[in-house]
Amino acid sequence: MQQTPLLTIRHADKHYGATAVLVDASLDLLPGEIHALMGENGAGKSTLIKILAGVVAPDRAEIHLNGQPAHIHSPQAAFDLGLRFIHQELHVVPQLSVAENLFLSHRYPRRAGFLVDWQRLNRDARAELAQLGITHIDPRAHIARLSTGDQMLIKIASAFVAGDRTPPAIYIMDEPTAALTGEEVSRLFGVIHKLKARGCAVLYVSHRMDEIFQIADRVTVMRDGRVVGTQAIADTTTEALIRLMTGRELAQAYPPREVPPGDQVVLAARDVHSDHVEAINFELRAGEILGLAGLAGSGRTELLRALVGADPLRSGEIQLNGELLNDLTPVSAWGHGLAYVPEERRSQGLILSRSIRDNITLPHLQRMSRGGVMLDRRGEEQLSSRVGASVRLKAAGPRQITRQLSGGNQQKVMFARAMGQTPRLLLLDEPTRGVDVGAKYDIYTLIRQASSAGVGVILASSDLGELLGLCDRILILHERRQAAIVAAEGLNQHELLALCYGEVTS
Amino acid sequence: MTTEAAAEQARSRPQWGRALRTSGTLIGFLAIIIFFTINIPGTFLSLPNWLNISQQVSMLGVVAFTMTIVMVMGDFDLSVGSMASLAGIIAALLFRDSQPVLAGVIVALAVGLLGGLFNGILVSYIGIMPFVATLGTLTMFNGLAFLLSGGETIFGRDIPADFSSFARGGIPIGSVGERTLLFPNLTIVALIVLALVWLLLEQTTLGRRLYAIGGNAEAARLGGVRVRLLRLIAFMLTGVGAALGGLMYASRVASANPTQGAGLMLDAIAAVFLGMTMSEEGEPHVLGTLVGVLILGVLDNGLTQMRVDSYVREILIGAIIVAAVTSSSLAKRGR
Repeated sequence: MQQTPLLTIRHADKHYGATAVLVDASLDLLPGEIHALMGENGAGKSTLIKILAGVVAPDRAEIHLNGQPAHIHSPQAAFDLGLRFIHQELHVVPQLSVAENLFLSHRYPRRAGFLVDWQRLNRDARAELAQLGITHIDPRAHIARLSTGDQMLIKIASAFVAGDRTPPAIYIMDEPTAALTGEEVSRLFGVIHKLKARGCAVLYVSHRMDEIFQIADRVTVMRDGRVVGTQAIADTTTEALIRLMTGRELAQAYPPREVPPGDQVVLAARDVHSDHVEAINFELRAGEILGLAGLAGSGRTELLRALVGADPLRSGEIQLNGELLNDLTPVSAWGHGLAYVPEERRSQGLILSRSIRDNITLPHLQRMSRGGVMLDRRGEEQLSSRVGASVRLKAAGPRQITRQLSGGNQQKVMFARAMGQTPRLLLLDEPTRGVDVGAKYDIYTLIRQASSAGVGVILASSDLGELLGLCDRILILHERRQAAIVAAEGLNQHELLALCYGEVTS
Repeated sequence: MTTEAAAEQARSRPQWGRALRTSGTLIGFLAIIIFFTINIPGTFLSLPNWLNISQQVSMLGVVAFTMTIVMVMGDFDLSVGSMASLAGIIAALLFRDSQPVLAGVIVALAVGLLGGLFNGILVSYIGIMPFVATLGTLTMFNGLAFLLSGGETIFGRDIPADFSSFARGGIPIGSVGERTLLFPNLTIVALIVLALVWLLLEQTTLGRRLYAIGGNAEAARLGGVRVRLLRLIAFMLTGVGAALGGLMYASRVASANPTQGAGLMLDAIAAVFLGMTMSEEGEPHVLGTLVGVLILGVLDNGLTQMRVDSYVREILIGAIIVAAVTSSSLAKRGR
């Protein structure tokens, strides 16, 4: 049976100057369909979505909604046509309550014409959340008090609120799970299944293969601005999708270990307490990769922050090559060769308004400059080009402004910074978040290379496959305390997840 | 170039748009010059008038150039005007006490450094917002200037000739009729400060780190920048600049008055803002500040010569600042 698609976009073209970013792209969304959109960063997914959102004007495109021609000339037009967009980054108003955030794009219910009917607002919010199966959040709660994952869930839920308008029919989700943990992801999937049952269509952008195969009905793959294929999910495999996305074969998801870790202990943490983590004890050997696993809020980020002096130690000690590190600060940490790649590249990692060069050399300026005072721009640019090439950074040159790079390339800039002067220790927090398949493999290869060269690596990640694929041992955090350290070999994802939930394996 | 690199570059927007966005202020400046050249024929574009302008703006220049240092970090220093007055008063009081000129100058600059240190401690170590902290010190320095001077202008015999002649002097560069044309000492001082601030901000690690703090203070801290210490240093430099501007003013008018620096703060911030419209990322740069200072100085000079009422002059200058910043932020919205 031929269904009328809820949405079709045909022959979409977009050029910036002489560069084509979208070439004759076509896509349709059927009612009750979850349609995955995949492709490397820069493949044109974002441009396509921005055209649907009314943010970017295409050079050419035919858009039909329910078979009727439609013009989406502004974000408001997209909203009025029943399209909803969910982005990977969190946009909630932290000062407001859950219910207020939920109904932010709608009129709040009124009393006496001009007063807000708070009781009804909270009641409506509770009903909306219950419809989506979210019952553990109080609509009156201050949203800033919720965990990041719950905030994301509310943000997502707000896109489902119809208010007094016709219910939205088309949802476009751009990596909604990037900041979510396993439990939150399954909640979101529950919500998506409810939408599907209602006959809504979902366009779902993700880099996570397991999610695509778990939830999608069809998948469209883009490469270099073109749609290279649309297939039923049942008719394809991970390997086939990667081949379509990259145009090349990837032998393995994770590069294998070639050099065994050494015996020498490079980093030792003894009974480390900060304001945010407690009772941390471990030793890291040269060339070893230690994973940090745990649920969102379990203290992975906070442990790394304590190790680089971003949060002060309350007690305990950290030794580097047997030498006690006193008064650790980010400045002294870099000086000791502790290279840190923080979790949030926008808020903590990069200075987006500055050049790639400025970002890469920032922690190394003291040694890169003449007498620690005068800049050596040529030396900096040589270094930036060299480490940039080694992390396969795609950019116009070391002077390009970092803001102009795609997410994956911004991540590589942080990596290039960490590798700028041979580090003794790499501390990585979610190094592949929001990064496409090809760039992910590049980053895995870099981590492996550093470890083979004898650099100790600590890798915090919410991607369990990544931890199991790369790490020698995994330190599990539970409620901001060290719960266990386990060998990665022989462990599977289910067992690791159970450990993260605080379950003891026999 | 790979296709993806091409796409990366495409993201960086069309070239002509960028050029228009960043050169709008410069084009406006040229338009102002052309307007005055036509309306004040002969005199406006003459060398003596431009030397005069350069001297008129030299105090503002010094204060604005050093103000740029804190504004690079995204901070402000509202206390520069009252610091300028205070520095002039302190030097004049020492002169009245028959202290040598050099001693008066050094002590006044040291007071500027200390005032900046105080601002820096409030902002950087205690964590008060710069706007509030320096609003407080503005009032304190102002009160101190009144207290020390007894609210009176110190002038006449109290001000040594060595001090006041400096501002009148200069390097002879030619003559017009029987008058010798001097390249003013005050202009030379402003140019030296300009060169030093440019070196500091554009050529040293300190400058690079200040820009990093302005771009993202938390990322800078995690990237190994001593954010608190550098902020403190930046405020100290701005304090010294304010004191130097005050001394130049006192020398020029051969007197010291507890309110004479009052107008400097707003003009200095306006000049930095005008300069910021000229950079792609909206960052302050000292050469941009120079253009901002010149725009303000040229407008003042030209409108005075055209006998425009001084109140109308203020309205016009304010409108031009608003227009420049508006057009620049409208252009940026399009990206």
